Amino acid sequence: MQSYWFGDLDGEGCHPFVGSPADQAARLESIDTDMAAYIPVAWEDAVRCGYAKNREDYLQKLRNLCFFIAEAKIADHFTSRDIELVQMVRMLDELDDVINLLTERAVEWYRTKNPSFSRKYRSLTGRRVIQVMKKERDRAFAEIIADIEKLQESRTRLMRDVTALADTVIPNCSALIGGLVAARLVSRAGSLEELSRLPGSSIQVLGAQSALFSHMRTGSPSPKHGIIFQHRRVHNADRDVRGRVARVLAAKLGIAARIDYFRQEIDQDFLRASQEAVDRAGEGT
Amino acid sequence: MIWIDGVLVSEGKGGVYGEKMLRNCRIWDPYRSKLAAYYHKGCGHELQKDDVVLYLGAANGTTVSHVADYTECVYAVEFAPRPMQDLLAVAAKRKNIVPIMADASRPEWYAPLLEPVDLLYMDVADPDQIGIASRNSVFLKQSGIALLMLKTRSIDVRSDPGDVLAESIARLEESDFVIQETMWLLPYHQDHAAILCAKK
Repeated sequence: MQSYWFGDLDGEGCHPFVGSPADQAARLESIDTDMAAYIPVAWEDAVRCGYAKNREDYLQKLRNLCFFIAEAKIADHFTSRDIELVQMVRMLDELDDVINLLTERAVEWYRTKNPSFSRKYRSLTGRRVIQVMKKERDRAFAEIIADIEKLQESRTRLMRDVTALADTVIPNCSALIGGLVAARLVSRAGSLEELSRLPGSSIQVLGAQSALFSHMRTGSPSPKHGIIFQHRRVHNADRDVRGRVARVLAAKLGIAARIDYFRQEIDQDFLRASQEAVDRAGEGT
Repeated sequence: MIWIDGVLVSEGKGGVYGEKMLRNCRIWDPYRSKLAAYYHKGCGHELQKDDVVLYLGAANGTTVSHVADYTECVYAVEFAPRPMQDLLAVAAKRKNIVPIMADASRPEWYAPLLEPVDLLYMDVADPDQIGIASRNSVFLKQSGIALLMLKTRSIDVRSDPGDVLAESIARLEESDFVIQETMWLLPYHQDHAAILCAKK
C-alpha cells in the first residue's frame, strides 16, 4: 500500500482521505514512508480517486495543504519566546554600535566648532561627552545630539526588557551568567534549542569564531573564551585560572541550557552545585 | 532558454524581488542566481516547458521564481522559517510553485507529496550535500537529470575546493548518478561548482 497526501492506494483501489487541512496535516505527519518501497505520486491517481478534477485542481489542492503546513510551522517557530529574545538582544547590540558610531562622529564635528576641546584628562565616557556637546547651539548638531540621547534611553529600556525576558525564558542560564550574557549566547547559537544541543566546549568559544578558526588553520593558541568572557567571574579571574573558569562555566551552561529547553523551570540544586563548581575553579591552585 | 542580446531573461510577471525588466521579460542575474550563472557559462541542460522540478534549498524563492517561469511545476523545499515566509509570498503569486517546508535530508517526510520529477535541482548549504542528493534521487524519473550547485565551502572550509569537488564527484558516481558535466561558476560565484548528472 502507498500512502499519499490525498489518500491511500492499494490493490483494491483508492481510499481518499477527507478532512480539514489540519486533519490532512496531522495525517501526513503520521505517514511513515518506507523509502525502499516508495513510488512517487501519479497525479492521475488523485483524479481517478475523485479527489481532484484535473491537473490544475490537483496542484491547487496540494498547494493549499502545503501553505497550511508551512504557515503553521512558521507561526509555531515565531511564537517560541527565545526567538523574540534573540531579536531583542541583536537589536540591543546593533543599538550599541550605532550609538558609538554616531557619538564618535559627533565628537569629531564638535572639535571643529570648539578647537580647544579634548577628551584627555577628563573622564568623558560616551554618556558624559553627550552632556557636554548638548550645550552647542548649532540647530542641526543639537538635534542629532538629542537623537543620540533618545537612542541611549531606548537602549537602557531594551536592556532591562532583555534581562527580564531572559530570566523567564532561560532562568538557569541567566542565574549562572546573568540575563544579558545568557541572551547573547542564545543569539549566537541561533535559538535555545540549538544552544541546548551544543557541547560545553563549543559554548566556551561561542563568539570567538575567528580566533577558533585561526587556531585550527595555523595552530595559534586556541581561544579560552568567547561571549562568556563578558561574565564577571571569567574576566575578573586571574589570568592563569581564567581558562579553567571559562571551561567549567561553559560546561555548566551546557547543562543549564538543556534544563531551560527541556524542563523550562529553575533547578535550585543544580544551580547551587554549579555556582560552587565555578567558584572553586576560580580559587587558584 | 530565452536570451535578449546576451542577457538571460525569463517570461513572467515581474517585481518579485526588484529585478530589472527587459522588453517585458525578467532579467535573471547570474551574480545573484547560481542557475543563471550556470547558463551564462554557456552549457548544459536547458529547462523545458513541461518539466516538473524538485528544487531543494529554495531559500527566498528568487531563483525559484525564474525556474517556475520556464517549467510546468516546481516543488520548492526549504527548511528555515525566515526565508520560507518570502517563499510563500512568491508561491502565492505563482500557481505552479508548491512550497514545502521540510528538511531536504529527510525526504521520507515529504515523499507523500511528490510526483516523479524531470529535474532535481539542489542548492543547499549542508556538509552532506551529496548524501542529500542521493537520498532524493528516488524522485527522479529514469530519464531525469540532477543539477547540483556544490557549495564547496559548506562541505569543508579547510580543504581545497578542487579536492572537495573531486571527492564529491567520486561519491556521486558511487551512488545513483552518472556525471555528465562539471564546471566552476567563476566569475559569478566563488568556490561554487555545478555538477550535472543523469540517473544510473
